[in-house]
Amino acid sequence: MNYGTIGLKAGLEIHQQLDTGKLFSRCDSKLTKDIADTKIKRKLRATTGESGKIDIAASFETSKNLDYIYEVHNSNTSLIETDEEPPLEVDEEALSLIYTVCRLLNCKIIPFIQIMRKTVVDGSNTSGFQRTCLVGTDGYIETSKGKVSIESVILEEDSARRVSEDKNSVTYRLDRLGIPLIEITTAPEMHDPDHIKETAQKIGMILRSTGKVKRGIGTIRQDVNISISGGGRVELKGVQEIKEIQKIVDSEIERQQDELSMNRKVGGEVRNVKADATSKFLRPMPTSARMYPETDLPIIQTNFNKLNSIKLPELISTRKERYLKLGLNEELSSMIANSARSNVFDKILETEINPTLIATTILSTSKEIKRKLKINSWKFPDKFYFDMFSLLANSKITKDSLSEIMERFTKGETLDNISKSYKPISDSELQKIVEKIVKSNSKLPKGALIGNAMSELAGRADGKKVAKIIEELTK
Amino acid sequence: MSNVGNKVKVKYFGSEYEGILLESSDKNMHLLKLTNGYNVGLPRKGSKVEVLGKANLGLKANTLLITKNKSLPNVSLISTGGTIASHVDYKTGAVHPMTKPADLLGKIPELKKISNISVSAPMSIFSEEMNPEHWSKIAGFVARELNKDEIRGAVVTHGTDTLHYTAAALTFALEGLSKPVAIVGGQRSSDRGSFDGGMNLICGVHYAISDIAEVATVLHGTSSDDYCIANRGTKVKKLHTSKRDAFRPINTVPLAKIYPNGKLEKHNGYELRHSRKIKVKSKFESKVALIKYYPGMSPDILKCYEDYKGIIIEGTGLGHVATTTWLEPLTKLIKKGIFVGMTSQADYGRVDPYVYSTGRALTNHGVVYLEDMLSETAYVKLSWVLGQTNNIEKVRHLMVTNLRGELSTKSHPNAFLY
Repeated sequence: MNYGTIGLKAGLEIHQQLDTGKLFSRCDSKLTKDIADTKIKRKLRATTGESGKIDIAASFETSKNLDYIYEVHNSNTSLIETDEEPPLEVDEEALSLIYTVCRLLNCKIIPFIQIMRKTVVDGSNTSGFQRTCLVGTDGYIETSKGKVSIESVILEEDSARRVSEDKNSVTYRLDRLGIPLIEITTAPEMHDPDHIKETAQKIGMILRSTGKVKRGIGTIRQDVNISISGGGRVELKGVQEIKEIQKIVDSEIERQQDELSMNRKVGGEVRNVKADATSKFLRPMPTSARMYPETDLPIIQTNFNKLNSIKLPELISTRKERYLKLGLNEELSSMIANSARSNVFDKILETEINPTLIATTILSTSKEIKRKLKINSWKFPDKFYFDMFSLLANSKITKDSLSEIMERFTKGETLDNISKSYKPISDSELQKIVEKIVKSNSKLPKGALIGNAMSELAGRADGKKVAKIIEELTK
Repeated sequence: MSNVGNKVKVKYFGSEYEGILLESSDKNMHLLKLTNGYNVGLPRKGSKVEVLGKANLGLKANTLLITKNKSLPNVSLISTGGTIASHVDYKTGAVHPMTKPADLLGKIPELKKISNISVSAPMSIFSEEMNPEHWSKIAGFVARELNKDEIRGAVVTHGTDTLHYTAAALTFALEGLSKPVAIVGGQRSSDRGSFDGGMNLICGVHYAISDIAEVATVLHGTSSDDYCIANRGTKVKKLHTSKRDAFRPINTVPLAKIYPNGKLEKHNGYELRHSRKIKVKSKFESKVALIKYYPGMSPDILKCYEDYKGIIIEGTGLGHVATTTWLEPLTKLIKKGIFVGMTSQADYGRVDPYVYSTGRALTNHGVVYLEDMLSETAYVKLSWVLGQTNNIEKVRHLMVTNLRGELSTKSHPNAFLY
């Protein structure tokens, strides 16, 4: 496709969950699979907005007159999420985080931030609106095809999770409702799918660099706005895999071209991306009529002194460069730089243990063990890594024993206890043991002797040392 | 001078913001509605405002065409203010009482299918501003409406904070009540999709056309939008600051459960609708006090009430105060002809003067124990009784006589924490 002649203009809207508490209640932002403690059934009604008009998007949803059922879990839900209590003031950590992101995106920051209510009547917010505020404007990021403008950076609440629906009702779980989301909107300055992909990946990288964003499925959501010559703007919601962007953009361009060729109006609608990269009409594009002030909360005054003293995190891209210089290969550098454990890695580096050993232990050995033992959700604690590498650095355990130590730890033993079995033995003791093995198996070839010795020593000695002794004894 | 309402461009430290200038509650800040709908504030100091033109921000009132459907019953809706009749002032962001109650009908179109509703607004105040003079005014208004033959019942909208006081006041003031009176409020404002007052009003209107000739509060029965409960005006209290189902029956069960589709499940005995005229007895005495006793409380407070006509003491447990310090000053007040009644700060249950010597001492010295009456109801009732008579013996008699379901001799076994 020749995107230039088509006149493709694309913009991105990226939503990223923050790994802090909920935005306007002091609840944990953890999702759950448990059975609900309570269920609440509600209706929503259309309301007139600030301008006296009922928003088209809003009235479209209420016209369905559905029952909304909300699953309440006491572990992550309060009366604020059930719309039974006014909101508390904004989560400090989330606010500080969005200031950080604004600075990383070269944005101007709003001096007085007013929290707004954005009318949402598909039931995904118990209140009938989403709390949202504009924090940064007028920023940019550098890409291989030049600067891409960042129009706005917004802090808002995530909506409730849709878990099921039938003809008359939709069921939502309130665990996700209120989790802080950053919404980043770019100008429609991308003109081909590769550029959209690059921009999305760069913004994603910047967000992950803060170390305080959620990871995993559903924690980042991308919407793409697309227009071509002769048509209006269409919003494609829910691009899960940025790798699929080429297919999605192409199929939308084809659809818009078809519509335009039949003299139909294109634009002003929101469409949902389906698994096959095509899309389905979702609702009309919302207007600004759906926005009015959140009267239960005071205006947030930006403290510019505090804001400028926030220490900016190292970008993942910079971090990766640093790791390459340490001698890690491309793949490992990228993996560990992107990993949530990069801070753990950095700290262990201070022990001067070989960086590749640290990286592979944290990234691969841990995975292998979990695969072998069929464990999914459990994670090695950071402290375990610090303690284990500190033992290694102080020659309290041997390098070859790491995998066995990790396996026994996973099974529930304490590191203190496990480490007793992997104390390196002194050189003279090692000499004695190896001599004994060689003497009693004098007819075996060298390889077998090494094998016997290693299994007898059970990881307490370095393989190279054993080989060297055997080499000399069998000369 | 004011550029409020104009389309402007504000320059602030190299940034430009374009939008409509709103009225700001903070003198040091320009409040701006940007084209994307977000409001932002910019310090006045350092900002340069350039006017681009006049903005179109006029609130278009819903011109509501009320056509009467002769096959439907007529209900009178009396708006007094509160959350249920509030709207957001988009200029200041503050919540204000609705000045045009017809707006309310525009928001809840279902009402027009149940009845013909005539709306009047004798006042528009927050419920914490209500006082006995307002009760009188509302009572007079309700009676005038209900005494019209064509009106089936009345719905009073009210702020929730003191809704139960007004409910009790109307119950006493409307003697010989012949038709239903629903008192309805909302805990969420009408600007939101989750406005609870919508269903409360619908159920309130269903109540108003029922055969229950009593004053009742009609609000959510649960946190869900499934049904409302109608609670007798003298036996109800706001037990939660913010939940939809905050109004609970005390020492009784609801008169009825009312579903938005009109289904009415009756749970309690009630007065039946009739056609006799209502007598309004709407005089309330204002020199009446409600005092909550707490451990260590000095009786000095009683000195403030020496020129009062009556006091309700919300005592501890079965109805106690520290007799060591309180008996003498209380006896002094009673001897001056001031009525002293005792209720309990344990919302549920009945006071009893005979279980402990404290109670016996108090009752022997003339403190009147008010059975299972709610403190708030006792306060309203005393104010009303003293508005009807100054004869202290009559007052003492009326206060322990059940007049409007406020006092029962039998404790309902399933009423606790209903």
